[in-house]
Formats: sequence, C-alpha cells, structure tokens
Amino acid sequence: MAALSDRRRINAPSGGTSAPVFSKALKEPGYLEELRPQRIRAPKELRKIFLQTSIIPSASGSAYLEIPNAPSSHPATLIPPTSSLKIAASVQGPKPLPRSAPFSPTLLLSTTVKFAPFATRHRRGYIRDAAERDLGVHLETALRGVIIGERWPKSGVEIVVTVLEGDEGAWWGQEGGSNGSGWGLLNVLAGCITAAGSAIIDAGIDCVDMVSGGVAAFVQDPSADGRLLVLDPSPAEHRDIIAACAVGYLHSRDEVTEVWLRGDAGLEAADSLIEGAAQAAEGSFSVMKEVFIENLEKNGNAQGLEGAGGKRKHADVEMAG
Amino acid sequence: MPPKSGHQRAKNIDYEDDDIYSDEEEYYEEGVEGDGMSEEDKQQMAAATIKVKEALGGSFKVTETQIQEALWHYYYDVGKSVSYLKNKYAPKVPAQPKQSQKPASRFDQAASAAGVGAPNGKLSSFIDSTTVCAALNLGLESCYSTPPPVHFPISYNFDRLTEDITNFFWDTPWGNVPSHRLGTIIPQTVAPKGGLLGGSKLAALAAKRKQKQQEQAAKAEEEGNDADKAVALLDRLSVKSDRPALLAPSDKAPKPAIRYQRKRSPSPQPQPQVESDEEPDLGTTRPTMEFPDLRAQPSMFATTLCSKNDSRPAGQSHQSTSFAEFALPYTSMVEFKKVDPFASPSPDDIVQEAQKRGAGRPSKPKATPKKPAGDKLAEAVDKLHVEEAPRVKSKNLNVVEEFAKSEMKRMMNFVVIGHVDHGKSTLMGRLLYDLKVIDQRSVDKLKKEAENIGKASFALAWVMDQTSEERSRGVTVDIATNNFETEQTRFTILDAPGHRDFIPNMIAGASQADFAVLVIDASTNSFESGLKGQTKEHALLVRSMGVQRLIVAVNKMDTINWSQHRFNEISTQMTTFLTTASFSPKQISFIPCAGLTGENVTHRNPDNSLLDWYTGPTLVSALDTSAPSPRPLDKPLRLTISDVFRGGITNPISITGRIDAGTLQIGDQILIMPSSEKATIKAIELDGEPVDWAVAGQIPTLHLQDIDPVHLRLGDIACAPNHPVRLIKSFTCKILAFEHVLPSSVDVFRGRLQAEGRIVRLSATLDKTSGEVLKKKPRIVRPGEVARVVVELQRELPLEVGVRIVLRERGSTVAAGLLEG
Repeated sequence: MAALSDRRRINAPSGGTSAPVFSKALKEPGYLEELRPQRIRAPKELRKIFLQTSIIPSASGSAYLEIPNAPSSHPATLIPPTSSLKIAASVQGPKPLPRSAPFSPTLLLSTTVKFAPFATRHRRGYIRDAAERDLGVHLETALRGVIIGERWPKSGVEIVVTVLEGDEGAWWGQEGGSNGSGWGLLNVLAGCITAAGSAIIDAGIDCVDMVSGGVAAFVQDPSADGRLLVLDPSPAEHRDIIAACAVGYLHSRDEVTEVWLRGDAGLEAADSLIEGAAQAAEGSFSVMKEVFIENLEKNGNAQGLEGAGGKRKHADVEMAG
Repeated sequence: MPPKSGHQRAKNIDYEDDDIYSDEEEYYEEGVEGDGMSEEDKQQMAAATIKVKEALGGSFKVTETQIQEALWHYYYDVGKSVSYLKNKYAPKVPAQPKQSQKPASRFDQAASAAGVGAPNGKLSSFIDSTTVCAALNLGLESCYSTPPPVHFPISYNFDRLTEDITNFFWDTPWGNVPSHRLGTIIPQTVAPKGGLLGGSKLAALAAKRKQKQQEQAAKAEEEGNDADKAVALLDRLSVKSDRPALLAPSDKAPKPAIRYQRKRSPSPQPQPQVESDEEPDLGTTRPTMEFPDLRAQPSMFATTLCSKNDSRPAGQSHQSTSFAEFALPYTSMVEFKKVDPFASPSPDDIVQEAQKRGAGRPSKPKATPKKPAGDKLAEAVDKLHVEEAPRVKSKNLNVVEEFAKSEMKRMMNFVVIGHVDHGKSTLMGRLLYDLKVIDQRSVDKLKKEAENIGKASFALAWVMDQTSEERSRGVTVDIATNNFETEQTRFTILDAPGHRDFIPNMIAGASQADFAVLVIDASTNSFESGLKGQTKEHALLVRSMGVQRLIVAVNKMDTINWSQHRFNEISTQMTTFLTTASFSPKQISFIPCAGLTGENVTHRNPDNSLLDWYTGPTLVSALDTSAPSPRPLDKPLRLTISDVFRGGITNPISITGRIDAGTLQIGDQILIMPSSEKATIKAIELDGEPVDWAVAGQIPTLHLQDIDPVHLRLGDIACAPNHPVRLIKSFTCKILAFEHVLPSSVDVFRGRLQAEGRIVRLSATLDKTSGEVLKKKPRIVRPGEVARVVVELQRELPLEVGVRIVLRERGSTVAAGLLEG
C-alpha cells in the first residue's frame, strides 16, 4: 500500500470519511434500494460537460473539465447518488531537456495522473498508486498519437493531471464497496484525455488533431435481450456493467489513439463497444470545439486581430544549447 | 447634399447609430463654406431660415448658421428643423440619435452586425474606434467599458482626423516608417463579459434587432426564399462578437443541436440504434451524429475556480465588473489633486542614491598599527585570539575540592642520590622487593639473568635499571621512576644516576623531588671517594634545587660488620659537610642499612645482633616520617615536561612531568612554552591508572591532542593559557657557588631544561644567612660563597621568579641558585 509506506506526511485514516448513513437504510431492507440512482438519460445521451481552458496562469496550457453530478433525487441522504468528475490538467513546456538528459530527436512526453486524496470515497494516498500510474500510461499513449513530436527535438513537456473528484466504481450502497470494480477509472481516463487534450491545444503545441475521450459500456438490461450499449455510463447508475471501453479519439481523422477495454465483451461486441466509445468521444469533442471557438472569438475581438490566429503563447521556444 | 467619400459612406452604413457626431461636424463645416449649393437651394434656405427664426422666437439663441445647417439636414423642412433645434439647443437636452429614414435592409443589418463585430484590420477600424471614442465623449451609452486601445504618439486632433482622413498617411512611406509615426497598439484583454448593462437603450435596441433577425431568419427558412436564405447565411457567417449588444439576450434560449459528420463509416455493419433517433441524411452515406448541447453550466466549485476568465455569459444578472467603472475614492477631492506623492524621490531612490554615493567614495584605509620591532608584540597578539572550545569535554571539576575530598594518601617524590656504585639502585630494588611491589618470580628471573653475565649482585638494581645499556654497563643512566606505598604515603622513587656524566639527568630528577635519599657506601675508601665525588655534588645540587630534607642511607653496612664506629664517623663527616651546604641538621637523618641483604630497609632482622646498637627507624619508616613539602594548588599551572613519548595509537602524544604548581584535569587546555602552542589534555594517567585530575606534586602522564610533537621538548613548561610563563632572555639570580665563578659562558639547567647562557655580571656577594650585600661587583665568586649574578641566555626560556637553576660549565656544576627576576 502506497499510503502505508508514505512516512513523510501525517496521513489521514486510510478508510476515508463518509457521510453518515442513516439508520433507516439499515432497518428497512428495501429503503436502501430506493436510494439507488437510475439512469434517466437515453442510452446514447451523454452527461453534460463543463470545460474551461487557461485556468492556471503559470502553466503554458491548462484545462478544467467537470461533469457535474445529477441533482440528488432523495433528500433523505447526504451522500450524492452519483459521483461527479472534476479534472484539472496542466501542461508545462515544451521546455529544453536538462543537459544531463540524453539526446532526444522528438518531444519527450511525460504524463502524471494523480488523484487528490479526497477525490474518491476511498481516500487516496499522496504517493501515486498503481491505478494512478496505470492511468498515466494510458493517457500518455492517448496523447502521444496527436502531438507532432518531431518539431521539438531535445525538449520535453510535462502533463500533470489532477483528479479532484473521480467517478466511483459503483454505487455507494452496493455491497463490496464503491471502489471495488474500478469501472469509474474508465470515466476518469476519458475525462483525463479530454482535459489533457484541451490543455495541449491551449498550450499551443502542434497537434495533428484534437483528441477527446469517451466511454461506452455494455450493461445488464433484462428488457433489451440481456445487454445494452450505453454511452458515458455512470457506474453508480448501473447495477451490473459487463464490459466497458474508453478511447482516445481523433475527430477529424477518425482515428483512435488509445483503447482501454475492460470486461468480457466478446469479439463483435467489442467492436461496437469501441464504436460507442468513439461516439461518446465525439460528444466531448463537440464541447471542446465550442469552447475553443469561443476562446478564439474572445481573443480575436480583444486583440483586434484579423481572424484571431489562435493562442500560440509558447509557439517559439528558445532552445538552449 | 455634398458628395461624400466612399469610405465615409461605408462608415455610415456601418454605424448609423453611432457616428452622428462626425457627420454633423462635417455638415457644419461644409454648410459654412456653402460649396455645391445651387441658387435655388440658397433661396430656399434663406426663406426657411426666416421661418425657423420666427418659430423659435427671440428667446432662443441660435445662430443663423446653425439654423441653416439644420434646414440642410432636414431638406428645408421647417417643422422638423425647429423641433431639432429646440431639442439640441434647449438646456440639458442631449442630442437624440438620428434614426435612419428608410428601414434597414436585411443586408444592411447583416453588414452592420458583421461590421461591428468583425475586426477587419483596415483603416476603417481605426476610424471606428475614433468615432466610438467620440461618441463616448458625448456621453452616449457605449458597450465599451474602456476606451479603444489606440494610442498615437503624436496627439492628433480627432476632428482633423475625421476631416481629412485620406491625408492622414500622406507623408508616410510604404516601407521604413519612421518610428515617430509608428503607433503602439496595445491589445487589451476584454473585460469579463457580463450581460447587458441594465438601462441601455442601445442594448435594448440591439436585443430587439437580434430577436427580429431570428424571427426573420426563421420566416425565411420557412418560406424558402433564396435571397433571404443567403442573407440569413450571411448572418450566420458573422463572427460572434463579445459585445454584449450582439449577444443572445438570454442563455435560456435553446442552442441548436450540433451536427458532426463522421468521415467514414465506422464499421461495415450498419448501426441502426446509433442513428435511430435522427433523420437519415439525404444524398450522403456519412453517418451524422447529433448531440444536444452538451455544455454544462459550471458547478459552484468550477465557478469559483474559473470565475476570473469565465467565458460563458452567466445571464443577465451577471454584471460586468471592470475596475475602470469604479473610480477610486476621493480622487475628485481638491486635496487629492494637490498632493503629488511622486514629486519627491521615493525612499528607495534615496537609499539607492546614498549607496551610489557611498560606492563612489574611496574606501577608508584600514588603520593597521605599525608593527614594532621585536617579537613580543606578535607573541602577545598570538595570545589574543579567542580560545577555541576544546574537543574533549571537560568535567569542570573543582580540582582543589576534589583533592581535599579524596583524602588521598600523602604523596611524596624522593630522589635517590649518591656516588656511583654506592648501591642506590640495589637499595631501591630491595625496598621494592621487600614491599612486595616486585614479586619473587621477576626477581628470580632478574637474578638468573644477572648471573648469566656474571653480575649476580646487580639483580636488584635491575629492577630499576631496565634498559640494556644500563644493565650491561651496570650503571644507571637516566632517571628511573617507580612507585610504592606505605600505610601513610604513596612514594614515587626517582632513581638518579650517580655517574658524573649523567649529572643533568640527576638534576632533572632532583627538580621533581620533595626530599632526597642520599646513599653512602660505608665501606672503606668508598665513602671518601664519594665525598670527593658525586656524594658532595649531589648533596649540594639537591639542596640548591630546594630539597630540604635529606635521609642519608649508610649502605653496605654488612660489608663492615655493622660497625657503629664507622657509622658514627660517616655521620659526623656528613653532618659537617651538609650543614655547610645549608641543610638544617634537624632535617638530616642517618640510617644504617644493607641493600643487598635488605637489613634495616623495611624491617630489622631480629637475628642480627650486630645492629643492636642502633635504635633508630628503618629506612622506610624514616621515609614515612618525612613531612611533605606544601602543594601550591592555588597557583597557576606549571608542569615541567620531563619526557615526551608516543603512548600508542590511541594516545599519539604524551608527556610526563611533575606538576610544580596548580592543578589540571581532563579537557583542560595547556600552553606549551616556549613554543606557545596549545594542547588539550585528553587523558591523565597517574601511576598507570587513569584519573580525572592531577595536582601539584604529582607526576602524571598527560595524553595530549591538537598539538604537533615538534612543539614539545624536554624541559618545556606546560602552563595555564591564561597565566603563561614569561619567556625571558636575561635574569638575575642568587647563586651558591660550587666552584670559582667568573663571568663566562655557562650551561643553565632548570629541571630537564638546558640552555646555553653567559654570566654577564657579578652583581654582589651576599651574606649566606642574612642575605646582606657584602661586596658589590666582585671580580670573582669563590666556592661556597653566595652571590648575585646576571645571566644572559642565548635563547628565550620560560623561567619565573623562584625557580631553581643550576649553572654548569664544562661538565661540572659551577653554581646553583634561585632566580630573582
């Protein structure tokens, strides 16, 4: 356990602090199930996304992504029925590599994904655990496909993603805990890809396309012959998730840079799962595009420039050595 | 109507609402000139002017030109002109914006929408800005919260600018524009976009127009009118402006769904469920996905996080908060305007100025005292430096108290002196053997070894003489020390060499002694030869070294069958001699003994009837009865180094020596003179036992650190750093002459210390007992006389008043004395 080996800080109890569960939930067997959130969205309907770029002034590019949680349907519980996603991504660089580093003809990309200790109901440590490192690797593959690294030899860029609130793996009332299955990580990855992709564009790093993330899942549904494809599943809303897939998707090229498939989907189903995830990614791409167009207009009008050539704050990086 | 430039017309189209001001100006000027007016016009004008004047009445003060201008404007319509003039020139009635006569066409609307928002980089945009600026000056409502960021280096009159805008750049070359003609365009970040300003007419107008446009666009779509569709498209093309006037009035209006076309078919299989809820696109196989507006409103957290540059309009209630709108308090007050806080230099400037001045001045030469001749000052400066904290931690004992508390046995050092081969070492060996300091086995071993080289009688002497040279020669060369205890006292034996060649060593031993044991061979001729030889010299030396008590051990009594007669004879002879050497007769005791047999050394042999005549004490009990000399514990530390050696890896450098005065403990710093080097006492050993402290009178071994061995020499003085021994080069001393003393070169001995010097002057001869001056400046000091002489040394020595010195010349002791200063 990462939290156990962390002796530099005074760590909170690893179990985390939860909002109280009232005794009614324990006394009446059926009551708890009433609290279970239901998906009221259509299967193809995505949750709304809030995206904002340039939130960190000191970073060369940054973005903040939020998928707000649904308003609580039950006033009887303090715990929000579904979790929301809050991700902040920042891009540092491109900057020259230290002299000690070996020569690199392309841009060195390093990604760090870190959950805030309070991001999930199960409290996280300050040191990155295996899941966070795994997410970092996934994110790196997703971003590596878009950045034109040849334009920055001998330089590196650091992408730091902080998950301020992460999607839970399951509903809090479910047996086995909320983090057991880890389905929420797919949503987190998709959010990370969207946020980091926005931050990269905000930093003005040359890319072949805009990358956005999306998730699709097969859920157990008795009405639709066993399983149903849903886009952007919120794990709390689904009792059983059979398989899920997160992709990093390039809209203009119709390409996928990253696929993370979980669960037992089967060969054909996997194809449709990936396709569904790409559709979800397209949804987040629409938000990205809108936000960037809005930014362009704002900047263009403010600067009185023709056509507002975009934000290339650090387009020319002076290379030392 | 006078002809307008094409550019101005275009501008008019753009800004029907805004640039009334500049238009008016133009009309005014050109009206005065009257250019281009036909005769008919002039007549009409004159008639109408009169009518207007009548209508306005005399109270209204309007010039004729103003009336004419208004008439020109209104095509000689008298009624309109009158109302216009009344409106304009009536007090506190602002000019009304002129409404365009004909309804704006769809194209005009679109163009105006595009023109307002689109930054088109042409000259017109500059003019736009200036006119907007002018409108601001007029007090018209404006959507800008800050003036447009156009700054000209040369302040141009805006009127003139609008008048001959075409001539503005007439002298500007196409390339290499002179710098004074270049303007700086500072991009100003747009203020946070709020909703529309509350009561703005313009805003209301704009909102109304927008709504109308939307309605018309909807209508046009319904009708399928091609031309209107194009215009509607034009509308859509227009770049979105962040001017509030052109924003959607409410964000509640549902955004149109966004369509995204997929470039390729995602997979060979058709996906009916994906496209099920949307109409199939006609004429293309590309699947199109439709998402409702996915953008969410920020949560409370996100609002807080991103509020600084929130790009999304948060609704009508969101007020634009620009700092320019809030004036600083008190700025309108007279006091504020009077005060000019930046007139005087700032505190920082004052400091920097002072520093600059200070840096410019040549630094004051440091007052370095001139170094006077002589090393004494340098030495003193050397001593000045702050004492470093010793690495060995001192226990900070009060050694005097500790010593008193310890109730230690009396400690006495005695030196054994006597002529060579009188049996000093043997007697001491016997004493140690009988006192069980040396065990039987080692004595047996020594006996065996001694027999091997045919010197069986030397076996006991070898207890003390341990070096091979001493054993082979059969004489003591250097001082040997050993310890033994009686019931009352701890004794340290200093076995001095008897041979005349080793007198310096004997002096060193004698300087450490509290009292002396003079060993005399009682056998025939031996005593006499001894009396002529070292017996006499040693006795004189120990006396001059300050030893007062003397025990005369009449040795080898067994060889003369314990003859009482011989003993008495020796006693009388020695008493007379010793009293002349200024020993007090009370301090002299004679003890008959035999070192080889051990008779009367530690105990008397009751079988020996030959010694019945003697009733006195044994040698050991005589030693015991000796009163120790006082210990000057309170005086500063003085330790004469008698030996320097390497005590092993743990103790790389050690010294031994008698503490003449003072005390020391572990952790003390000591100053070694004359090298003036400091050392720290790491450990103290006394008689082979580690101790924490040592006091005057003891002969400890000190293990030192922080000092190089080259600074330690035999005879050096270790002293307390705060009370160092002074190094002197010449001194006066009172001497007892053994030989004839003349001014000549002599060797000066002080303990182990040995230096060449010279008696430069004989000051006086003194009376032996009273010390009165008998004769000043004698030519010669005879043996046995006491004199005061001045001695000059070749090098400086650590000597103090009261130390005892011995003067020797060419191997014989000339005199011994007391240093007086």
